Amino acid sequence: MTGFPSFAVFLKILINGVLVGCMYGVAAIGLSLIFGCMEIVFIAQGAVMILGAYCIYWMFTLTSIDPFFGFLLILPVFLAFGWLMYTGLFQRVAKAGKNPSLLLAFGLMVLLEHVMSLVWSPNTRTVATSYSALALGLGSINISFTRLMVSLLALITTGLVFLFLKKTMLGKAVRGVSEDMRAAALLGISPIWVSAATFSIGIALAGIAGVATSITYPFDPYFGFLFSLKALIAVAFGGLGSVEGALLGGVILGVLESLSSYTISAGWADAVAYVAFLIVLILRPRGLLGRSVEKI
Amino acid sequence: MENHLLEVRNVDIFYGDAQAVWDVSFYVDKEKIIALVGANGAGKSTLLNAISSFNPLRKGGIFFSGKSTAKLKPEEVATMGISHVPEGRRLFSRLTVLENLELGAYPANTRPFLKESLNRAFDLFPLLRKRAHQAAGTLSGGEQQMLAIARALMARPILLMLDEPSLGLAPILVRRLFETIEALNKSGVTILLVEQNIPQTLKIADYAYVLQTGTLRMEGRGENLISDPNFQQAFLGVMRAST
Repeated sequence: MTGFPSFAVFLKILINGVLVGCMYGVAAIGLSLIFGCMEIVFIAQGAVMILGAYCIYWMFTLTSIDPFFGFLLILPVFLAFGWLMYTGLFQRVAKAGKNPSLLLAFGLMVLLEHVMSLVWSPNTRTVATSYSALALGLGSINISFTRLMVSLLALITTGLVFLFLKKTMLGKAVRGVSEDMRAAALLGISPIWVSAATFSIGIALAGIAGVATSITYPFDPYFGFLFSLKALIAVAFGGLGSVEGALLGGVILGVLESLSSYTISAGWADAVAYVAFLIVLILRPRGLLGRSVEKI
Repeated sequence: MENHLLEVRNVDIFYGDAQAVWDVSFYVDKEKIIALVGANGAGKSTLLNAISSFNPLRKGGIFFSGKSTAKLKPEEVATMGISHVPEGRRLFSRLTVLENLELGAYPANTRPFLKESLNRAFDLFPLLRKRAHQAAGTLSGGEQQMLAIARALMARPILLMLDEPSLGLAPILVRRLFETIEALNKSGVTILLVEQNIPQTLKIADYAYVLQTGTLRMEGRGENLISDPNFQQAFLGVMRAST
């Protein structure tokens, strides 16, 4: 118990929470897109993320490629990975209904976790770059450089996804298919093609969140599940199908955790997050910026 | 083979184990207005959905410009030149009017004409231009029907299929709607119209097919049907069933 923080400390906690929350937000946007378009609860999002983190780890330790540069290499690979995952697995299973695809996602998560622990061992890894310990002073407040970079990355990513959905034909088709798949097909829009594109983007977003994790947190192969849960909570906070809501949900979650781990104790951070999740579900099941959840 | 634009030949359609359409045949010729009329549950929408490849056929075949659509997906039928305005319009209510229209021209073969098609849509329904940046869900019923038709026209269809476009519209709007349909037809679009509003439909239709509980009961030119005592009897039955 540390009691109530002073203003400067409070500000630091707030900023830290926002920075961490941006990462939750990116993973949550991916989940939200995949759910909105295909009604698949992609619980393996966290595991895919950790896979991204290990890719960065490998590139960094084996060839000392900088994580931020490695990110550019990972992006196309994860887009392709998402495409294959949809066309090879989920497209077939999605026809059978929501539960089979949830089970498939769960199985995929377990498989990924165990493959990762075979390849990289279950030990906790970190990516320690020359600038990992760097902190920027802002008056009396210190902000971690990597966290700042990561949240910038998250904001840029969110902005790009937002522009994609609003400005491109494919993005508009994604929104159209999310709303009414049959009506979209009647206009000559292939729901399968659009779903595959959405899935790719969702997986790429998991990859980006993985890059972010690798440079800000120690991670192990099983760390992802918790992250999937956090991303789901962020989606529920923000409202399903809303990109800006998912980011906001992530930020709220990050701030809540950061505040409660300072004022109560770190062990309580998760409990506070889950309680907040329950309260949101009870009082505002559509999420804070949400539209309807009726179709679930 | 005859040169019908669309030919539906001896089709049986099932929903699961329940048969909805029995051995129905009809055809649509180029630049005509053809009507499918009948009460609720007569199988009209089922037939349109079968043409759009949503409902598989148990028997028979559907041919567009002489080509079978049996193996095509709905989105492939749409890109062949058939635009289907489904029952209830099914607009993307969270997308803006403009975005709805843009998606109408999504397929690669129609996208190059997007600008042109947009202007044409706005000329046809000037009100939509004013509402362009409004979410489609905020439009009134009449405006939504305009948008649904405009969206279907964005694909520059050869055949436009309208499923109960007059449903839920005020009488004055229904009259305007039928005028629009006639005008579209004069501009060269072939129309397959499904309606329960029989008197108005028969006035504009070149030829009509009357369906009852999944079977074809009668067919003929609009004016002939109206004066046919058999039709009048069935038609009165239809009126009773639909009220």
